[in-house]
Amino acid sequence: MKLRVVLTWAATALMASTGVWAQTPAADSLRRERLLETVVVTGTGTQNALKNTPIETEVISGKMLRQYAGQSIEDILGSLSSSIDFGENDMGSHIQMNGLGNGYILILIDGKRIHGDNGGENDLGLIDPQNIDRIEIVKGASSALYGSDAIAGVINIITKKHTEAVLLNNSTRVGSYGDVRQHNSVGLSFGKWASLTRFQLQHSDGWQNTSVEDPSQTEFLITDSRNKTVNRYTNYQLAERLTYALNPAVELYADGSLYWKRIYRPSGKYAQSDVKTYDMEYQNASVSGGGKWKINKDDFVTLDVDWNRHAYYYNFTDTTLVDGYVNGRFTPYFPYFPGQKDLQSDQQRTMANLKGVFLLPEFNRLSVGAEWRYDWLDAPMRVAGGRATDNTEALFIQDEWNKLKWLQLTGGMRLTRNEQFGTKLTPKLSAMLSLGDFRIRTTWSKGFKTPTPKELHYRYVRDMNGTYLYLGNTDLKPQRSDYFSLNGEYRTGRLSISATPYYNKVRDMIALVTIPTTAAPGDLIVTYDPVKVRQYKNLEQAKTYGVDVTARYAVGEWSMGGGYSYLDTEAEQYDSNHERMRRVIIDGMAHHKANVFLNWNHSFTRAYKLGVGLFGRMSTKRYYQINGNGKGYQLWRLTTSHTFLRGKHTTYALDAGVDNIFNYCDRTYHGLHLGTTSPGRTVYATFNIKFSKGKKFNNNNTNFKSNQDEED
Amino acid sequence: MKKIKFMMLAMMAIMVSVGFTACSDDDDPVSNMEQYQRTVDATVKAQKKSNKAILLVAFGSTWQQAYDAFDETVEAYKSAFSGYDVYLSFSSAICINRAAAGENVAPRNFYAPQFWLEAFGRVQYDEVIVQSLQVIPGEEFSRVVNAMKDFANNSNGDIDDEYLSKMTLKLGQPLMASADEDVENLAKAINTNFSAQAAKGVVAFMGHGNPDEYDTYKANVRYTQLEKALQKINKNYSVGTVDMSENYKTNVKDRMQDAGITSGTVYCAPLMSIAGDHAHNDMAGDDDEWEFNDENGEMEGTSWKVYFADQRGGGYTCNDETMLNKGLLEYANVRQLWMNHTRNAEAVDYYHSKNPE
Repeated sequence: MKLRVVLTWAATALMASTGVWAQTPAADSLRRERLLETVVVTGTGTQNALKNTPIETEVISGKMLRQYAGQSIEDILGSLSSSIDFGENDMGSHIQMNGLGNGYILILIDGKRIHGDNGGENDLGLIDPQNIDRIEIVKGASSALYGSDAIAGVINIITKKHTEAVLLNNSTRVGSYGDVRQHNSVGLSFGKWASLTRFQLQHSDGWQNTSVEDPSQTEFLITDSRNKTVNRYTNYQLAERLTYALNPAVELYADGSLYWKRIYRPSGKYAQSDVKTYDMEYQNASVSGGGKWKINKDDFVTLDVDWNRHAYYYNFTDTTLVDGYVNGRFTPYFPYFPGQKDLQSDQQRTMANLKGVFLLPEFNRLSVGAEWRYDWLDAPMRVAGGRATDNTEALFIQDEWNKLKWLQLTGGMRLTRNEQFGTKLTPKLSAMLSLGDFRIRTTWSKGFKTPTPKELHYRYVRDMNGTYLYLGNTDLKPQRSDYFSLNGEYRTGRLSISATPYYNKVRDMIALVTIPTTAAPGDLIVTYDPVKVRQYKNLEQAKTYGVDVTARYAVGEWSMGGGYSYLDTEAEQYDSNHERMRRVIIDGMAHHKANVFLNWNHSFTRAYKLGVGLFGRMSTKRYYQINGNGKGYQLWRLTTSHTFLRGKHTTYALDAGVDNIFNYCDRTYHGLHLGTTSPGRTVYATFNIKFSKGKKFNNNNTNFKSNQDEED
Repeated sequence: MKKIKFMMLAMMAIMVSVGFTACSDDDDPVSNMEQYQRTVDATVKAQKKSNKAILLVAFGSTWQQAYDAFDETVEAYKSAFSGYDVYLSFSSAICINRAAAGENVAPRNFYAPQFWLEAFGRVQYDEVIVQSLQVIPGEEFSRVVNAMKDFANNSNGDIDDEYLSKMTLKLGQPLMASADEDVENLAKAINTNFSAQAAKGVVAFMGHGNPDEYDTYKANVRYTQLEKALQKINKNYSVGTVDMSENYKTNVKDRMQDAGITSGTVYCAPLMSIAGDHAHNDMAGDDDEWEFNDENGEMEGTSWKVYFADQRGGGYTCNDETMLNKGLLEYANVRQLWMNHTRNAEAVDYYHSKNPE
């Protein structure tokens, strides 16, 4: 009881400190609503009905995912959220959310941050598109809750949880350009134990939209380049999760995964343009364990300990000389032969997170927690000294106050200590006003991003149409942001309309900036003779602002809707030589982006259901500082889904469709930016068979069963 | 309790299996070096026709025009130095990799100097002349000398010491090794090649140069000396660089303006052995960023062509037609200057400091 009193006072103090105070409740109604509506967790870290979450959350529901039958997480997010776009290449997906890139987007899988990047880009192949229950997108800064990187927003991939005694599931998707997606899972529960084993495989032969190299970057016109628009790749993942219900209140878990990916790069005959001597290979591993203690029906404590590894190799396809260390001695011209590998970087991260959620008197719900994180980077030839580490600890507290029926307030803050930049406080404050079916939400939050060990210590030579030298910078400060948004929403059972103007100001933004060659270390200049040197720098006063609009309408067997994002960006770099700010564009920005969908679902018999969907996405010109702008585009997809129920336990499903039905293909010369990498019209088919049997068991980590109809 | 133990064992099993998988399979470094060396050895054995060898050493390039210039140079050397086997070496690993790889194209094996020298030692050439194809005796040149010293000192420990004590190892100096004679000779050759353009406008040469803090051997001064020598012949010559502090294109423009040349045509030509990335991009490219300046006024993001044509660069007539984009090795009379250095190659002190003498 004493604990409750202390926590209540702590919550009270927190609300007072953030300038918010009021009185009156409504928690029983929340419980009722939980049973009726989609429940979201990402905005507050606690469960809230979507309608009543004080933090605006965009949800891509399981039903929508099934209807869309996305090939990959990039395909899904790029098509179903107007705020998100991609620009795939060798180094990753180049995801952008409202103008900001991967470094400012926190991607979570079941609330845990994804690990490992190449050039700041997460490998999203780690996410199995067939294993997604729903996706929650919270835009704007959420560092108070999630810490570093949550500046543009948070994407939380909620995976499927099996609740059956026996579950066997196989899904195979095949499509144009050798596309294969394989998902298999076996779930068993026996007594207090439950096990879920998953295997996923993703493969594409890749494609080439043009074989012409940009003439302005080559010595002569090259029309038979072998450079692909998207390279061939294969990746697979094996994962196991064990849960054990110690008693009705305590559930423990342990899980682990292995992941492998290879990106194949064809080699041509032009030394300057398309000769490649190595492929890229990633090896990931993860182990985690923890548990959840449900103190009572409202209060719980969770503990998670995770270790993740992401290793990046060159896998040589031709004889290649590299700089290396032999017996501890620097050796230039160290040769590798086809079939051999050379480690480029090995990123390892260990995290521990302790969190408690307590329902307190006076309708306060308090979340408190502590986090410890240790990063370790081994990059023998890419980091000065070969290794770098980073250490961060944080405490966070958040209170949700919902005593008044018409007003909900949420305030939180995080105190972070990092060995590089010291301590930092990041608050967040949100309010929601409910007026019948209308909601008005407003948020002010701060975000930050810790300079990564790579950004601080990197040294990398890229070899494409000339040699580019990339350098880290130990003088980097953490990036910090202020985010303001105002959301208006009208939501009934059939219709929802939402509009959110926002303003995101990021200071000390870290970006690779071309610096004078003379500002780089002379030994590197002499060794590599780069045509350009780029170094990580803090860019001052970058800002993004715009408005996101979404609309959904469902009537009978029909549902329709869409989203629209208007965006503008400005970034200013401090030019120390002239003591002035220089205005630049944030690469990849488009002013207008939209998506639309129209779905029809019909049950012909109890044993057969049909769904037909039409999806469109479009973008205006994407702006880049160099190598041209990406053309505007629009892509349309026609999907069909067929569900066959056979007996009590088995379901068959066949999804088939045509993507990019108007066969749009951006054939801009290679070396310049594309609006979209789509190869033109493609077809796909997915066959899914699911066998489930036995009594469902209660998984404490499973969120409330969602009624997703309102989203579709 | 048993179940907890079982779960712990299961967790340990996962961690151990992950740990094993996470181990990298390091390759044996010695065998890789030796395997590669044997490829070089085989190339030398196949090409060895005499007991004397010339090794031409350049930084390297991935441009076809550069490959053609190197091929022409090797052929010219073979003609001029009968009795010698002629080899070409790149010092840039990236350029070596790109030239040797590729599908449906004959590999070009421009091995690094130390591999060639090791192979020469293994087949025991009586005489080896290493000719630097650098323009100035700067940092890049010093690396050529270091490779020779490593060879002479048998740093790999696998060359017969008695052979080393008897064989002849000579160094051919770079194009502007000496401040007087070499610079004068180059100025004359350049004037022979460019006098027609110099009669109509400014001929601005773009050298490479070393970054200021890395101009260890003060070789950058050769560019200044060359400009002086050229201007004795014709005031319309100017020599700038991409990396030498206070001698960028902006400084070239300032000197032109100070000399009263405020209009007319500016021809640009690379003062580099070959016309590669710098010549095609930094000099004759279309980059027009105008933003990045160091304290001495360099605008790296703007090409020479764009710079001189713009009002900020003097507003001269400067366009694709005034880009004279041939490397120095493509001019027979300049190539001859390098050959003269080969004929006058000398042994240097291989046994003391690694710096060139």
